[in-house]
Formats: sequence, structure tokens, C-alpha cells
Amino acid sequence: MSELQETPRATSVLADEEPIIICREVNKWFGDFHVLRDVSVDVQPQEVVVVIGPSGSGKSTFIRCINRLEEHQEGQIIVDGIEMSHDISNIAAIRREIGMVFQQFNLFPHLTVLQNISLAPMKVRQWPREKAEAKAMELLRRVGIPEQVNKYPGQLSGGQQQRVAIARALAMEPKIMLFDEPTSALDPEMIKEVLDVMKELARSGMTMIVVTHEMGFAREVADRVLFFDHGRIVEQGTPEYFFTSAQHPRTKEFLSQIL
Amino acid sequence: MTTIHNKQINAVNYEEPQTKSPPLLSVGPLAWIKNNLFGSLMDTILTVVGAIVIVSAVTAFFTWALAGANWFVIIFNMRQFLIGRFEPWAEWRVQLLALLVIAVLGWAVGAWSRISRGVFIFLLVITALLFVLPPVIRAVVPLSPSFVSAGETAIAYGSVAQQPLAQLGFIGREGEVITLRVAREYSQNDRALANSFSFVDSPLNTLRNAAENRLTIEARIPEIERLLAGDALTPNQRALLTADLERLEVPPPVTETYHLNEFPAQVRLLDGATMEPISEALLSGESEPLSVTLPRDGWYVLEKTVPDNPEAVTLIAAEGIYPMLERSFTRSASIGPDGETIAAGRVTQYIRMTDIFLVEGGRPRIEGTDVPFENIVENQYRGARPLHDYLSLYLAPFFQQINTGFLWLLIAGIIGYWGARLTDKYFSPVEKPRLRSQRIAFWLFIALPPVAFILVAGFGILPPTSPPLWGGLLLTMLLTVVGIVVSFPLGVALALGRRSSLPVVKGASIAYIELVRGVPLITVLLMAMVLVPFVAPWLGGPDTGPYRAMVAVTLFSAAYLAENVRGGLQSLPPGQEEAAKALGLSAWQATLFITLPQALRAVIPALVGQFISLFKDTSLVTIVGLMDLTDVAQTVVNQNEFLGLRREAFVFISIVYFVFSYVMAMVSRRIEESGSGAARRI
Repeated sequence: MSELQETPRATSVLADEEPIIICREVNKWFGDFHVLRDVSVDVQPQEVVVVIGPSGSGKSTFIRCINRLEEHQEGQIIVDGIEMSHDISNIAAIRREIGMVFQQFNLFPHLTVLQNISLAPMKVRQWPREKAEAKAMELLRRVGIPEQVNKYPGQLSGGQQQRVAIARALAMEPKIMLFDEPTSALDPEMIKEVLDVMKELARSGMTMIVVTHEMGFAREVADRVLFFDHGRIVEQGTPEYFFTSAQHPRTKEFLSQIL
Repeated sequence: MTTIHNKQINAVNYEEPQTKSPPLLSVGPLAWIKNNLFGSLMDTILTVVGAIVIVSAVTAFFTWALAGANWFVIIFNMRQFLIGRFEPWAEWRVQLLALLVIAVLGWAVGAWSRISRGVFIFLLVITALLFVLPPVIRAVVPLSPSFVSAGETAIAYGSVAQQPLAQLGFIGREGEVITLRVAREYSQNDRALANSFSFVDSPLNTLRNAAENRLTIEARIPEIERLLAGDALTPNQRALLTADLERLEVPPPVTETYHLNEFPAQVRLLDGATMEPISEALLSGESEPLSVTLPRDGWYVLEKTVPDNPEAVTLIAAEGIYPMLERSFTRSASIGPDGETIAAGRVTQYIRMTDIFLVEGGRPRIEGTDVPFENIVENQYRGARPLHDYLSLYLAPFFQQINTGFLWLLIAGIIGYWGARLTDKYFSPVEKPRLRSQRIAFWLFIALPPVAFILVAGFGILPPTSPPLWGGLLLTMLLTVVGIVVSFPLGVALALGRRSSLPVVKGASIAYIELVRGVPLITVLLMAMVLVPFVAPWLGGPDTGPYRAMVAVTLFSAAYLAENVRGGLQSLPPGQEEAAKALGLSAWQATLFITLPQALRAVIPALVGQFISLFKDTSLVTIVGLMDLTDVAQTVVNQNEFLGLRREAFVFISIVYFVFSYVMAMVSRRIEESGSGAARRI
């Protein structure tokens, strides 16, 4: 903890509200390997948090802990007032409120785009088919590819697939969106179309945690930037602070390498 | 374009470029032959050797099939091969089932695929040929006459001595014409006699063998003389050959010994019921043939003697008299086709092998003994069979036997196919033109197995049939379908169980899979026969053999299916399950909607392979006394009349097994290659 630099508190959009995500001293090990060390962070509703750091620093593991794709072994994670525990109904309730977008898209290849998007609302939220499909069409228009509705994922480009993946996550009307390196598997010319969708989403007031290497995105959209190294948050702050006056030598070194 | 203009390149070629044909050996069939068959020395050797092997094997097979094989064993036992001893009164249920199955398959083809015009025309042509060919063959190529001998002398050859029968019983149909004449074509010399063919009686066959033997000796003597005249022999060989030559003695010609056809034969045709003569004649080589039109269905007796010389034998060619088969069995009382009661009792049937014409009841008796009859053991087809006899003897009856069934099945298939097409035309939404038919096809497939089982076994208003009588292809298919339908969900459950996080479920699944996979199917079958009644006492009765075999086959197959499905589940990237979880789907929903469909699709080849081997493995139930297709083949060739016809029976069931397996493999390939399936892969 002593290493954590005292930095100006990020300006939350609605700073006086209850945080929607609360992580307190979260620890996780893969076998003997200590992946997350005393990670504590609060995220306010409508806040956009960008997580950066070198590979292997635990940033992906951190956001996967938030919807319990990974299990933390120490500390507390409270999402939307519900604490993550072994209680299966708790996990299901939380996952319903958290959308996630993966680096490898993870679309369901045996279902059409429409089925990919409408499956979860119908099966989890018990929406009637008409409502789920109407929602799917609305989201496809929002991400800009309504014409692909009846195709299979294998027939789409990477950027289109990732936009479908975002639409799929949004179809559950989540309160929080997690992005795990959403542009890392994309060709350069497709990155922009995905980032544009994410920017639009951030402007609409979605609470987002984004693990990314896109510094331009972080600078433009983030309310707060977290820098992970060796499983802990080394430094955090507003983008202006972070990209101009970061204090920690590790941060400086990282920024000097990628900027 | 712009750059070219900017640089002011002004050499413009307005002429059409000349087309030059490629070198002769680079494209086209010649090039294909050169590149694929004779690419190198090794390729050439392999091509030539392979071609020789293939050609000789195929030639040998077809020579045997057309000129030697006795396919009567198949034609006569077709019912056994298809349904075993299934009760005749319930046979219509199996026929209905076959029509239903074909209709559903036709529907499935209409729902997921299309039949091209070519295939459709092909099927129609085949059906038409099945109906047209038999009468055409009958009209164009009449069956060779059968040959019988007359005379009072015993024909001796080696240790065999056969005397021609004075009387011969046979059955005939009203209106048939029997033509008798002296078989002059076989009495010219011994070579003609040795080369005789068609149905012949035992004395004539002995004559054939004697003639053949004489010709062999005759050929051997000049050969030995030629060798002795040369100087390539050692003294020892010379001595042996000389001794041989002294021992060898050419017997007098067989045709002369027995005065073959030198004396006329007295023939008399009697009505078998009244023993009244219908017609008689003295047949000599020069006389007109005797033609008799039979007055009614039933038994007749042919009396034949050579009155002028007790030493002489005369051969009679008889058109219309053909060998038949005697069958005796005990029949339980039943209701006949016209509603009359058929009493229980011992029944003897005589069936003519050329057209399955059947007469029931005893043989005519002369002086208190049954008349010997033209039967298929004593009067076998001898000699190399010419193609026209193959056509009229086996192909025409076979076509006639299957043409009606084939037509009905084709109609059922067409009804199913067009049912699906019309359903789509009128009821499917425009954006999903095949939605309705595919939905209905799905439910038809779900409904088919229980319907099949009810039809075969009986339920409710359908009186139950006796399981031990199920047999032939019917039993094979029953075991296969039940095996597939039940073992599939079981296998999926075991595969999921093996991946479960619950130790007990996981342990039980692993134990089951490994135990079953470690035991041969025969052992499982034998165990099921004795152990299933302990677990399920209602399966302990004497009539439940097929059910116990179904249990064994199902349990066995499930273990292998489980491993196949597990392979499919393991091949999925972990991201699929994570994505499903992240969307809030429960573990069951994720399995049902996300992982399982993909896993099954990935292992379709392995699954169908498992189904095919299940289909073939059902032949092992013959070990536990069930009459499946293989067992019917074995039983049939163990009957007196069909001794020595193993090849025919086993070739036939091989073809049946192959056709079904190949269709399954073809369907699996089509599913794998189907358009949406290909697009679904990332």
C-alpha cells in the first residue's frame, strides 16, 4: 500500500452517489502465483475506468473477477450492492447486470447474429421473442450493422463481430460493461469502428471498465485511468494527470515505451 | 490508368491477342492420365498391378454371380431375410412401418435438401424396369428346358450308379404348356454331353461326369506320348509316365455305351389327382415334340421308359417341368384372406423354384408310395449357366418379387417429399422458406421410433407379436434404431457427467464408461441375457430376448458415444462457455444452447461412425440366439435344400449391410457439408 501514490481523486460524474462496484483488498492466486494483490477500487455509476498495464500484470484477471469468471480468494467485491460469494443465485443476479466483451469476441458460431443477441434476454430475462428480437434490431442499428442480422458470425469481419458482441452484451440491459482488450485481436482499420461504438456508449452514461492498450481512447473517454503492475494498482488518476504527470517510475517507464 | 496516361505511353496493341492451345499433354484427359496414372515408374507399376487385381477380382465375382451362383436361396428366403419368422397376420404392420419410414425420409429430403430431376428420373426408370423387365425377359429368352433321362439301365461312373426314374412327379399351373422332346443336342458325342447345362437329373449328371472323365483321359494320352517322344525326361520320369500310359485306357464313348437317344422313349403324362393319362407319345430323335396344355393347377406325373432296349438311355428335354422344394411345417389355426378358418395341422407345400408357384398337400401316390419328384437337390442346375438363363431364372423373379414393394416405397417417398415442399410453399414465412417443413421433420423423427416400436411389438388395439419371432433385417433395424435413439441421450448425459464438477457424478460416469469400454460386446450381450433379469425382472421371461439384446447394445454404445461427445466438448474454445456465463445463462442453459450443439456438430463423423458400427455389431446377437440378418443367412444355408450356398447368402447380406451403412455415411457427409453448417464454422 505504501507504494501507492497519492493522486488526485478522479472526478466522478456523480461523485456523491454510492459506488456501483466496490473492491476491497482483493487477492487472488493461480496456484502459488499471486495475481492480484490487495486491489482496492471503487467505481461510481456512469464512470468510465480504463485499466492499462503490461501483460501479465493482472488487469484481465481483475475485471474477470468482477463478474466472477475468476474467483477471488481474499477480500470483497460488491457489485450493485450484492457481494460476490459462492452463492450461485448471487452470481447469476450480478452477471445479469454486467455485460462483458472479450478479446476473441466469443460469439456463438452456430447461431445467427440475431440469435446471438436475443438468446440471453429470452432465456435469462424471459422476454418474449418479439421483444428480444426488436431489442436486438435496435442494438444492431446502434452499432451500425443492421444488415448483418441473419448472417452467421463466421461470415462477418472481426470488427463487425466485435460490434455484434457489444450488442449482445447490451441486449441484457446491463448496468455495467466490462471490456477485456476489445480491440487487440482486430486489424488496425477495424479498431476505429469498435472504438467509435464504445465512445458512443460511454457518452450515453454507461458504467464501463475497459482493459485496453488504446491510449487515445483512454485519453479521450476515460474518467479515470488505473495502472496495473505485478497484480496491484500502482497509480491511478484522471487521463490528464496520468498522461502528463504520472509519478511512479514504473508508470513512467510503461508510458515511455508505448507513447 | 491515369499513370499510364501521364507517362504518355503510346505503344497500343489493337489486335486481338492470339489464343494458343496448351500443349497436348498439359490439360485434358490425356494429361490427367499421364499425371495421375503413369507419373513415374513406381506410379506406373502401381497402376498396372492395381488394375490387374481389380479387373481379375471383379471378373471373377461377376463370372461366379452370373454363371455359377444359385440365387434361388435368396429369392426363396426373402421373407426370412427381411422379417424372419414374424407373424404373417401382423406383416401389414411392418409394411406400413416401411412406408412410414420412407415417407419421413422423403419429407426430410424435401425439408433439408432437394432431389435433382436426374435422380428422380433415375428412380422412375428403375421402377419401370422392375416392372417391364420380367415379362420381357420371359418373352424374349425362354428358360432352358430341364433334362431328364429314361431307361432301365443303371448309369455307372466310379462308385456311383444311378438308374433313371420311371416316374417323376411335378407341379404345374393351369394353361401351362409342357413340351417334351428327345434331347438330340447332347447325344452327338461326349463333348456335347460334357458341356450340357441346365437342370439335369442325377443319372444325366452321372453321364456328364463320365463323358468329362473320358475326354480328360483322351487328352492325357497324346500328351504323355508327346513327352515320351521328346528327350527332356529323366529315366525315372520316363518310367513313371510309361507305367501311366499302360494303365490309361480310354473307355468307349459314353454316348455309345448307353445307346444315347438311339431308341425312342415312351412318355406318358398323368394327372396327379386322378392318375388318368392325359397324353402319351413315343419320342424319337425324328418325331415331333409332344406338347400338352395342363388342364388345372396341381400335380402331374411323367412316366418315361425306353421299351425297345433295356440297355439304352434316352434323354428328354422337358420345357415346363422345373425343380421344386418340399416344405413341411405345423401351422396354427388362423383366418385366411377370405375370412375362412384355416385349421391347424401339419402342412406340406411344394414350391417351384423358377417362379415360386406353390401347391399345398401331399404328393400323388403310386402303389402305396409317394411318387419321386423333380426336386432342387436331385435336379440341380449343372454346367456353365448362359446369361439368358441367369436373366430368366434369377433376375426376372427377383425383380418381380421386389417391384411392387419398391413402387409403394417410391410412392411413400414422393408423398413425403412433396408434403414437405408443399408445406413450405403454403405455410413457411418468406424469410425462412423451409421453417415449417424442418420443424415438422424434426417432430416426425421424434415420433417415428415410438410409432415403429408400437407397430412392431403391438400396443393397445394392435395385438402383441411374439418377440422371439422378430428376425432378419427387421430385428437388425430394431436393435440399431433402439440402440441409437436410447444410447444417444445416455451417451450425452455420460459425457456431461464425466465433465461434471460433482465428484460422485463424475466418478460414476468415468467408472461406467471405462468398464463398458473394457468389455467386448459379445460378453456384454451374454451378460445381459443372464444379468438384466436381476435388475429388471420383467425382462426375464423367455420371450424377452430381443429386449435384453437391446439393453446390451444400448448400454454398450452409450459408453462409446459418451467418449465421442466428450471429444467434441473438449474441442470447443473455453471462451464459448465464458461468454455464455457472462451473459447470465445458467450452466444448464449454457450446455443446452451453446456448448452441446456445437460439440455434437463437431463430432458428427464420429457419431455416425459409431452408429454404423452399432448397426454392424448387431450381427453379434446371433450368439445369444436371436435371428438377425446374419443368423437368418446361417440358418438358411444349413437347410438341406440350400447346403453349399453359403457364398450366395453371405454375399447378399453383405450387400444389405453395405447399402444401409453407406447411406448413413452419405447422410452424415451431407450434414457436414450442408451450406449453413459450413458457414457456422469460424
